[in-house]
Amino acid sequence: MIILLLFTAIFGREVPFTANIGVVDLDETAITASIISVFNDTEVFDAKVFENKTEALKALNATDVRAIITLPQGLKDNLTTGKPIKILMAVDETNPDVARMVRDGIRTFFLEFYKTVNTNYTEPISVIEESTLMREEMGYKEYIVPGMLCYPFLFSSMVAATGAIVYEKQKGTLKKIRASPVRPLNVLFGKTLAALFQTAISILIIAVLAVFVLCPKVNWNIPLLVPIMFLGSMNGIAVGLLISCIGRSPQAASSAATTIGVVLQFFIGMYFPQEFLPTYIQQIGNVIPMTYAVHAIRNIMIQNAVLSDILQPIATLIISATILYAIGILLYKRWVEKE
Amino acid sequence: MPGKTVIEVEDLVKHYGEVTALDRVSFSVEEGEIFGLLGPNGAGKTTLMEILCCLRRFDEGKATVLKFDIVKDSYKVRASIGFCSQETLLYELLSVRENLAFAASLYSLKSKKFKERVEFSSKFLGVGEFLHRKVKELSGGMKRRANLAVSIIHDPPVVILDEPTVGFDPNVKREFWGLIKDLRNYGKTVLISTHDMYEADELCDRVAIMNKGKIVALDKPDTLKETLAGETSLHIKVKNTPTKEALSLLKKYDCILKDDEIHVFVKNPWEIVPEVSNRLISHGVLTEKIEVVEPTLEDVFIKLTGRRLTEEYKLTQ
Repeated sequence: MIILLLFTAIFGREVPFTANIGVVDLDETAITASIISVFNDTEVFDAKVFENKTEALKALNATDVRAIITLPQGLKDNLTTGKPIKILMAVDETNPDVARMVRDGIRTFFLEFYKTVNTNYTEPISVIEESTLMREEMGYKEYIVPGMLCYPFLFSSMVAATGAIVYEKQKGTLKKIRASPVRPLNVLFGKTLAALFQTAISILIIAVLAVFVLCPKVNWNIPLLVPIMFLGSMNGIAVGLLISCIGRSPQAASSAATTIGVVLQFFIGMYFPQEFLPTYIQQIGNVIPMTYAVHAIRNIMIQNAVLSDILQPIATLIISATILYAIGILLYKRWVEKE
Repeated sequence: MPGKTVIEVEDLVKHYGEVTALDRVSFSVEEGEIFGLLGPNGAGKTTLMEILCCLRRFDEGKATVLKFDIVKDSYKVRASIGFCSQETLLYELLSVRENLAFAASLYSLKSKKFKERVEFSSKFLGVGEFLHRKVKELSGGMKRRANLAVSIIHDPPVVILDEPTVGFDPNVKREFWGLIKDLRNYGKTVLISTHDMYEADELCDRVAIMNKGKIVALDKPDTLKETLAGETSLHIKVKNTPTKEALSLLKKYDCILKDDEIHVFVKNPWEIVPEVSNRLISHGVLTEKIEVVEPTLEDVFIKLTGRRLTEEYKLTQ
């Protein structure tokens, strides 16, 4: 039911998604301001103005924007005097479907804009794609592989951690462990290690399958990927521990974890860009730690991001894992002491 | 050291909401004895045991095991006890040896010591024959032996057994009694809970009878029976004469009519039986049975609480 609602929310809208685009306004006139304003009014685009092209390119490379357009100096004059206008455009090819929609959308926009402002002018505004900025053509598999590597965060990590404590409690074996001189936190850490191990195996299997079956053209930067995956797993484990302390039985806890995992996978951008989602769902996705893991992994594997590019997601993942794990520890201790 | 106190409980109180599970319970257990907690379900036996094993909190009172406070030194207490619960707490998909290895790791047992303990358990508890079998493949009796072996893998000085023979048939039960007595012979102090009066009578050096969270009596089983249960009785069933008529022949004795039987209360039953029998026969009264019934701990319990130890308990001898 939840998935049905999600798909309706995602694909049932009139406007399929809102693409962030960067605008470099070299003309800085009322006309260019009007262009930017109309871009935002369309609901298809969300225009962000950059001071210069360097800043805009940075945003494009970080996939903060789907495209950048440069409004040339003299646009207003050329529009009124009938001289040719060339808008430069660079599109993020990470997702070819999105790239195509964005490209067509921008071209259509300027075509319609031109008709509105100057119906007497014979030569339309041309939108030229800057080939130097185009990356090597990528397919959907390049987009999906980083997302699939995050699948274990939601399912292996979370479900393994969820079942671990509740299973032992239901079986009674937790009683035996608690009757021994093992500190309660050591039990939690042991379960965490076990869940991490399971997650690592899942990720390895997915990676091997991806390499041999899909053969994606991505950057396997292991030194950067491993810490991000570790942090993503820790977040999943922390959520699993929270559910474990609340769940009454392994079945109930496991069902809860699976349901949450199934829902979250759509929110965090695993299969398609977050821009495809309604704004309110995007906002929900932005508070889910795994979203940052997905983005960081995608940046590393597709955008060849370096450490400095992913410091912010790393920090976010560390903070969220720490907070969630701390809450999990408190709940576990309270639950043990309640006995 | 004979007479050394191993477990000391002082005014222990435990509430579950409005229900008082333990109401100022106090007792002590000496080194090397088998001490029983006898009582029906809900008497507070398991709660008390779990508190001593640091598995439950309590509301008031104090308790020590080997002079270690169960709150301040719970780590040391847990290292010193072997707790064998009523349920079989083993990992079903692992073998007995793997379960033993896991338990040994909880107590940081070194490899050499672990091997010694596995050998000991194999001989003493008879788990050697199914050491490498998965727990789920074992019979109930085998699982209980394995459970006990796991509980004492670290050779603890104190062993706490929560209803260890519940559900066993009589033969297996007696075998297990032998094992528990052997534990004492190995110098262990055993605290055992049971609702089986025969078990308490057979095994325990001293018994604390519990009812509704309180200890209502505490002493050696024989002493409890002598002082509290009353006298031995002869149960006589006659067959060719109305029982009331037969009763009138035995007026010189302290007797009553109950359930169509004559109960004669005597101190020296084996001397009285021939007398009673001759008297009845001389008046032409034939008897179907003359049974000497010794007082039991259940009689003690009934006397103290007014109810039976267990409504459905049966022991087929």
